[in-house]
Amino acid sequence: MAERNGFHALAVEAGELSMFAGRFFRNAFHRRFEWRELLRQAAINGSGSLPLVGITAFIMGLVLTVQSRPTLARFGAESMLPAMVAISVVREIAPVITALICAGKIGSSMGAELGSMKVTEQIDAMEVSGTNPFRYLAVTRIWSTTLMLPVLVVLADAIAIWASWVGVNIRDTVSWPLFYRQVFDSLEYGDILPAFAKSYFFGFAIGVVGCYKGFTTAKGTEGVGRSAHSAVVVASLLIFFLDLIAVQITDLLGLT
Amino acid sequence: MATTARPPAERVIAVRDLHVAFGANQVLRGFDLDLYRGENVMVLGKSGSGKSVLIKCIVRLLRPDAGRVEVLGQDVLALDQDQLDHLRVRIGFLFQSSALYDSMTVQENLEFPLRRHWLATARQETEALVDEVLDAVGLAHTRAMYPSELSGGMKRRIGLARTLILKPEIVLYDEPTTGLDPITGREIVELILKLQRQYNTSSIIISHDLNVAKLAANRIALLHEGRNRVEGSYADFLASDDPVVKEFFIFM
Ligand SMILES: Nc1ncnc2c1ncn2[C@@H]1O[C@H](COP(=O)(O)OP(=O)(O)O)[C@@H](O)[C@H]1O
Ligand SMILES: [Mg+2]
Repeated sequence: MAERNGFHALAVEAGELSMFAGRFFRNAFHRRFEWRELLRQAAINGSGSLPLVGITAFIMGLVLTVQSRPTLARFGAESMLPAMVAISVVREIAPVITALICAGKIGSSMGAELGSMKVTEQIDAMEVSGTNPFRYLAVTRIWSTTLMLPVLVVLADAIAIWASWVGVNIRDTVSWPLFYRQVFDSLEYGDILPAFAKSYFFGFAIGVVGCYKGFTTAKGTEGVGRSAHSAVVVASLLIFFLDLIAVQITDLLGLT
Repeated sequence: MATTARPPAERVIAVRDLHVAFGANQVLRGFDLDLYRGENVMVLGKSGSGKSVLIKCIVRLLRPDAGRVEVLGQDVLALDQDQLDHLRVRIGFLFQSSALYDSMTVQENLEFPLRRHWLATARQETEALVDEVLDAVGLAHTRAMYPSELSGGMKRRIGLARTLILKPEIVLYDEPTTGLDPITGREIVELILKLQRQYNTSSIIISHDLNVAKLAANRIALLHEGRNRVEGSYADFLASDDPVVKEFFIFM
């Protein structure tokens, strides 16, 4: 019984989340678009997550390089190091890590901010003020995460690859132009484009989940905390799930 | 209960046979209320009895399950979104928690209701309106502050200013003095009365406050078990031998 209830709750949640996403698409290109709020959100989300994304990307690039070297060295394939690191960073590590960091940072702050706006009746106040709260608050936030995430992923790619060069230079000396050429020779559009495409979906998932959790917050202060928390959990799970789908699709399209 | 004789006035709100339920929780079960122009009606009722639900139905923040709501001669439940937005300009709503936007300054909070696309208020005019309402509530110096920097009483005043910036004909107050100390509460009541005369509004005031009952209410309605149990003047209520009414007046 408990299992059925759990499954039922999951199904209901998935349904409501899809309806929320559908509502976004019905309003996403509305002529009364809140440009100022979109820019404000993009600035907040982008600059807020950049330091954490940057540091994590640097560490991932460095660690990956240092740890892969012994294995590659055993096969005498140390020259493959730049290519290997670049491909794993660009295809998988940068998009997923960036998305998870943003799910934690942006998702939770959206859940909490919108949640407290909901429980203190600020969303109702907007509604009676003749401003559509969904368009003003949710549409702008979902657009902002959707558009910002790929930008952050590209930055994370660049930082991780540079960190990898730093990692290589701990033992060897490889000039940056040489390293850079090796990286770009190894990367194909089949590596870059699918990663870029899935970043949009990750950003979209973070925005939709954060706004959905905020807008459906239960009354009371615990409600706000719960919204923030579950926004992170649901968004992170959704990112892995989307990643799984993305891998299957790239595989089917032969972009491997 | 004796109805006080009043000159024939225009009816601005008519609520008829309102039913609202949340799942099994039947909140309103056939509520009726009238508001006439220039009048202050106080709605009294226990916490959780559905007072906020009632006024949210009047501006259609909630849709009742059954019943009629007429505001300024229009059937609120039948309006489309644009008509509703136009009607809402004429109704002010003061939220229980003031509901100031945390991420905006006082000035931006006050400007928010002017954003309506068809109003297209000119810059100077906006400034003048903000000045006017800030002066009216006596808080001109808070313009650049954020809500988190204001005291509870100041928040309530700014909420009042934001409600009045569009010069509404009707104002709905949701517990305007709850959570304030008695002195600040009394100041808010006096402010409400002053603004009422200045802007010539009609209002529904939800409250448990004796000051509101004595100073502001022309008529009191008691919301009990989802219905309008009794209506009358403050004097009528004091003289009443209805046990439910008595219970309220003991606590007030
Ligand atoms: N959006 C809602 N969803 C579910 N129940 C609600 C909602 N709004 C109010 N209620 C319930 O309706 C009842 C009346 O609430 P309310 O009108 O806020 O009371 P009050 O008279 O104190 O203002 C309460 O039991 C409350 O739990
Ligand atoms: Mg209430």
